[in-house]
Amino acid sequence: MSAIIVTTVLGIIILYLGLTKNKTILAPAAIAGLLVTLFLSAKEWGSGIGYYHNMVIFDNFSIAFNVSMITITILIFLFGIDYYKRMEFHVAEQYSLMIFALVGAFLMTSFSNLIMLFLGIEILSIPLYVLAGGKKFSFKSNEASFKYFMLGSFATAVFLFGIALVYGASATFYLPEIKTYIAQFHGDLPPMLLVGLLFIVIGVSFKVAVAPFHFWSPDVYEGSPTLVTAFMATVVKTAGFAAFYRLLGMGLLPLPVPLEKALWVMTGLSLLIGNLVALRQGNFKRLLAYSSIAHTGFIMLAMLSQHSTSASVILYYTFVYSLATVPLFIIFILVKRASNGLDQLSAFQGLYKKAPWLAVFMTILLMSMAGIPPTAGFMAKYQVFVLSISQGFLAISIFAILMAVVGIYYYFNVVREVFTDRDHLQDLVITRINAGLIIVCGIAVVAMGIFAWNLPI
Amino acid sequence: MIVLIILLIPFITGLLLLLVRNAVAVKRAALASSVVNFLLTFSLVFTVPVSGYTANWINFLGVEFALGYDGISLVMLLLTGLLFPFIIMTGMKRDQPQVSLLYALILFTQAALIGVFLAQNAFLFYVFWELTLIPLYFILLLWGGECRRNVTFKFFIYTLTGSLFLLFGIIFLYHLTPGMHTTDFSVFSKLNIPAGTQVWLFWVLFIAFAIKMPVFPFHTWQPSTYTIAPTQGVMILAGVMTKMGIYGALRFLFPIIPLGVVYWQNTVIILSLIGVIYASVIAFRQTNIIRLIAFSSMAHISLMVAAMFVLNYYALQGLLFQVLSHGVTIVALFYIVMLIEEKTATLQLPQMGGIKLQAPNMAILFLMVVLGSVALPLTAGFVGEFLIITGLFHQSIWFALFGGITMILGAIYMLYAYQRVMLGDKKPALGTITDLSRHDYFLLIPLITIIFGLGIYPQPVFDLVEASVKSMQDLLLPLAGSLPALPQ
Repeated sequence: MSAIIVTTVLGIIILYLGLTKNKTILAPAAIAGLLVTLFLSAKEWGSGIGYYHNMVIFDNFSIAFNVSMITITILIFLFGIDYYKRMEFHVAEQYSLMIFALVGAFLMTSFSNLIMLFLGIEILSIPLYVLAGGKKFSFKSNEASFKYFMLGSFATAVFLFGIALVYGASATFYLPEIKTYIAQFHGDLPPMLLVGLLFIVIGVSFKVAVAPFHFWSPDVYEGSPTLVTAFMATVVKTAGFAAFYRLLGMGLLPLPVPLEKALWVMTGLSLLIGNLVALRQGNFKRLLAYSSIAHTGFIMLAMLSQHSTSASVILYYTFVYSLATVPLFIIFILVKRASNGLDQLSAFQGLYKKAPWLAVFMTILLMSMAGIPPTAGFMAKYQVFVLSISQGFLAISIFAILMAVVGIYYYFNVVREVFTDRDHLQDLVITRINAGLIIVCGIAVVAMGIFAWNLPI
Repeated sequence: MIVLIILLIPFITGLLLLLVRNAVAVKRAALASSVVNFLLTFSLVFTVPVSGYTANWINFLGVEFALGYDGISLVMLLLTGLLFPFIIMTGMKRDQPQVSLLYALILFTQAALIGVFLAQNAFLFYVFWELTLIPLYFILLLWGGECRRNVTFKFFIYTLTGSLFLLFGIIFLYHLTPGMHTTDFSVFSKLNIPAGTQVWLFWVLFIAFAIKMPVFPFHTWQPSTYTIAPTQGVMILAGVMTKMGIYGALRFLFPIIPLGVVYWQNTVIILSLIGVIYASVIAFRQTNIIRLIAFSSMAHISLMVAAMFVLNYYALQGLLFQVLSHGVTIVALFYIVMLIEEKTATLQLPQMGGIKLQAPNMAILFLMVVLGSVALPLTAGFVGEFLIITGLFHQSIWFALFGGITMILGAIYMLYAYQRVMLGDKKPALGTITDLSRHDYFLLIPLITIIFGLGIYPQPVFDLVEASVKSMQDLLLPLAGSLPALPQ
């Protein structure tokens, strides 16, 4: 709870610091504040206190996800030091909007009441609509913002409608009570309740971009400022999955059959569409957008396996995925700057020649995304498959493995570009902080692969 | 403990090499490390009892870092240990760009290969199995020839596809283990999986190995990859990597799913024999000498796969012997091919000829290697292939007949190629050709000595693998029915 208060206050402080017109203090102040939040969150480990009549409960699950999201946000802010150097105005607003979004993310990991979930999603989303339009004079950025806002509000409406229907049937917003209510029907749910649950699931699916509710994500990823894209691909995704898991785990398990079928179809579609469409992408950000839809499919697989370790696997997967995604976006920005704003895959050509160490780290990160040992991405996928095969989902596991091959294909397409000879990256500039970030993330990805962990959450 | 040292030497040397700038020092250090490694591996032959190493690793997944070996892995380890000094020596007197990275990658490949052969549980095996691919991928990508980007890409995706099925199989087996799940080979082999499951699980596991070896029809990556690969890369690929496929099949299929093996036995033998004939015929039509050797290697490997699946004592002995003999021969062959390319600047057979006139010594050594490759009596190739054909004969006379055709076809295309390269009149387009240098002798003479030495006195190798072959035989004997009794 103290984490939420501190973070909210931090956002306001950063907003006021913006008045000083001194950009250099913003990122350090924000990071210092986040470190405090990190500490306060971690301190509550094991206490499991509920607030506001248990509408939010800070149990180990939510703390683990909060810590993971704060860590990733710190990484993104460190990247922000260089990223926002060229921006003249409204830098403070960018930071504080991200901090406010983080508050929403905290609520999404700790709710036990549907109203709190709704609040969390809205607090997370509204800053993002603004952030997506951060490049005011860029057509694509405006498009991204507008699209995200329109589709996002539509999804929110569906989501609210679902809550209303469920409330109409069960007369409660509390997940445990909804669970008892569902249980009395023994799988044969009344239509109103079923439609309500389906709408709620669709609303959350939209946030994490599960196919077929993914159409916004490639355009929004491409148009948004890269730092915001990195934030969306990592923190927002993690929060979405935490909420999704909590929704299922706390309220809906064992899943009603129609709902489970719908979720399986969504999983299969995410794997299929994400991977196959990613094959055809020439734009790096769109590639990562589609590949993130594919990763969504893998995480859904872990979630639907409904095992006691699912939560830990999802935490590991999202954290590892975020840890590789952030530095990849950093490298992309560096390369894009050096090649006059080229955002195609061919921008990476000649990277090996210009900066061999960067090429090596990029390869490690892409290996992790593709799931090749000894990186953490492999351990994440391995654990997902262990889960899904343990529950006897052999056919979909084989399908997911085939899709993983496709994933390797397009990630190594990028590696191939990196190791192609060309001389166009002459003015590649890498600041010390960015270099440090890339190296730390690269080493962390390998270390977490060799020393894989699971948390009892 | 000694196995851990064997695994770490190449890895640590490789890391250190990255810091060294001096090309000569890099190569010497790499060579020294590989020689030390070979000596240590060789000492394992005399180490009684078997030395192993086990440490806790990922407890919640039931994975230990367990290293160990038996007769079969020892053959593979000896082969790896033996070939890498030669592979490294190949580059000794040659100018190569980015030397420290190249040799670091070569040593990383070696470490990963050793890891594959030492791993005592399937998870560790899989990790090392994948790790062999990464450094090799970069060796091919950065030092390869024309069209390397697309060819290496195909190679990479091809082999990874197989590996991922293997991964599925491993996780599936993992869940069958009783109690606290584990991936230990020893537990896997006591599973008693229902026959119906074994039948489909066979292909899930086998496909990874079939691609690595390669078995017809999974071979399409091989010729183009061999053609673009730098000599050292192709030596690793043909000399050791193919054996890794054989090793994997021996380790996974026979002890764990014996019923599946028996069920698919004839299918795989027939596929391999098709591969034998197919590769031989295509080899005969090649004008590029590397492609010729690639297909000839495929023919030999296919014969070895057939031998593996007839499930009898002779064939298994022959197979393991042939693993050593083929590895040594193919490295020598590729070395000579590299020499020819350096001296004539071409790989096309029609453009060569009469090299013997100017380089008689090279012609003689080349002939010796070719004879080893076509399995002439008194060479190692003969011992291996003779045993294999004997084994095939016990299964079916037709198998023996078609298997035997490799030896004939092999002799035809290899000697024909030899004739076109070395004999006849010298083509005017070729410039003056220098004979072997002292460095070449250092490399070729030991290899040829091994080829003939093992051909004349093969017993030590048989003694080495005796126990493992017997245990495998005991396992499969009740299943296969009409196997010949062990010679007493």
